[in-house]
Amino acid sequence: MSFEIWLVATAAEELPPLAAAAQSGGATVVVVAVGGRELAQAASAVGAAKVHWIEVGPGLVAEAYGPAVARLAAEAPARVWLSGPSPAARALLGGAAVAAGAALVGGGTAVSLDGQTVLVERNALDGAVIETLAADGPVAVVWDSNEGQPDVSGSASPVLPVAAPAPLAVERRSVEAAAGADGLASAERVVGVGRGVKARADLAMVEDLARALGAEMACSMPIADDLHWYPEERYVGRSGQKIAPLVYLALGISGEPQHMEGVRSAKAVVAVNNNPEAVIFRTATYGVVADLYEFVPALARALEDS
Amino acid sequence: MRAVAVYKWSRATASALVRQDGEVDWGSAKMAAGDDDPAVLTIAKELAGADGSVVGLTIGDGETAWALARGLDTAYAAPQVGPSPDNAATARALAQAVDQIGEVDVVVIADAVAHPGVAAALAAVLGWPVLLGVNSAEAAGGRVNARRRVGNAVETLSLPTPLVLGAVAVGEEAKPPGMMEMIKARKKPVTELAVAPPEAGVAARGTRRPDRQGARLFDGSADEAAASLVAALRGDGLL
Ligand SMILES: Cc1cc2nc3c(=O)[nH]c(=O)nc-3n(C[C@H](O)[C@H](O)[C@H](O)COP(=O)(O)OP(=O)(O)OC[C@H]3O[C@@H](n4cnc5c(N)ncnc54)[C@H](O)[C@@H]3O)c2cc1C
Repeated sequence: MSFEIWLVATAAEELPPLAAAAQSGGATVVVVAVGGRELAQAASAVGAAKVHWIEVGPGLVAEAYGPAVARLAAEAPARVWLSGPSPAARALLGGAAVAAGAALVGGGTAVSLDGQTVLVERNALDGAVIETLAADGPVAVVWDSNEGQPDVSGSASPVLPVAAPAPLAVERRSVEAAAGADGLASAERVVGVGRGVKARADLAMVEDLARALGAEMACSMPIADDLHWYPEERYVGRSGQKIAPLVYLALGISGEPQHMEGVRSAKAVVAVNNNPEAVIFRTATYGVVADLYEFVPALARALEDS
Repeated sequence: MRAVAVYKWSRATASALVRQDGEVDWGSAKMAAGDDDPAVLTIAKELAGADGSVVGLTIGDGETAWALARGLDTAYAAPQVGPSPDNAATARALAQAVDQIGEVDVVVIADAVAHPGVAAALAAVLGWPVLLGVNSAEAAGGRVNARRRVGNAVETLSLPTPLVLGAVAVGEEAKPPGMMEMIKARKKPVTELAVAPPEAGVAARGTRRPDRQGARLFDGSADEAAASLVAALRGDGLL
């Protein structure tokens, strides 16, 4: 059976995992792109059948076009709607879901058709389980996976500019770079310290290791906010820096989801924690159950030896 | 401004028990305040200012005094509305409640990681603009200025009212109320609203544990583990 999956995107980088997921479900893919011309162009190159493009006017943001997306959604023959997790994309997806009379769920990692029923797999309980949900009608899914590359072998998809109804007055007043830790954002290796480090003086030992690794230093929120051992722009997480190093070495960090959100894009997370039950071992790539005071000098030696 | 602060509208992840086979047991977990609920109250109060008002709104079986112990004098509850896997269904129930509350300029609700569609769908049902991921906001000339962190940038946006804000907390609650405030709060009035439990457009088909089960652990002495780790990272081309 053929069915349509419509993707709602507000930035080019949101599209590849969504398009890949939609294609692997065997669906015809349609993109609703809300943004500038570059977004429309990027959207035409992800293997979609067509792209509906809503151009964002000067001084406005994508959220201003909620009614325009809803109007498209009300008429769309979509069985499934997908968006990335950015605030702007989710705002539009919510509007599309309501206009389309669709169910709306988060955490999506896979979508497929089982007879007439759409099956959605999603991360639930902070990733502790994968839940399967079944929808007999249309369903909108906030996607939670960065993985997958779409098949883009076909020609560029046609871009259809949408004659949008008047946008809402959702205006951008300013954008500033958050207090910068530029080195951290682009670092290939990052060492993060948490409350497992007992005293400020012990940071010297960790900083020596970071130098040997060619790594930048980062920390958990309490190390910056409560203890002030590092400036605020060094803490990683949901409320702090989002980093994408090759390796994130977490020393004495419990691995609460708020912290781990900041290192989701790391290629590998190495956890060193003396508590074998620490939640960080659930999501880390590599782990060592050890006292960091023993392990840090040992790792420095191992790096020297090799 | 007249603000509605929505609180305690989902269960806490931490109260779910995951069995060995991946089945989830919620036991008798009740609706609980989420990480972002304190920020919801802070933002709602800031927007209401001295001349405005904030009323609380909660659904389900959670203890209603939570918001009343944090400076609100009025709360509404829709106890018939339970948790739903369908964010749009939850939003429809909340929208019914907001309609019953009456004149409202702004609804502030957690932009909760586990329920990322509720705030947006609520705005859509109400027909209002929405901004998600909001860390702080202030009233300015009949409009709302809201700030949010997106990636490594901070945006300031201006929106007309009425609107919905999806709030995100930056950290733990600064000063949770004490015993006395809780006791006083339990004496404040809570108005029950009649809201039909929403019908979900999805049905749960079960849960399982993820295929990838945790970190690859290196054991042995610290030196052995360190050597194995270095070898593994070199092997992956990461060092
Ligand atoms: C709304 C909200 C937003 C938040 N945002 C963020 C955020 O952006 N970033 C962030 O980091 N946090 C954030 N938090 C806080 C987060 O929930 C955790 O409380 C915090 O990340 C814990 O920091 P930690 O791991 O350093 O400390 P702890 O949780 O105390 O963990 C310390 C760990 O060290 C281990 N340990 C102790 N001694 C040793 C030793 N000798 N050797 C090895 N291991 C040892 C312990 O076993 C433990 O696991 C937020 C919280 C809220 C409510």
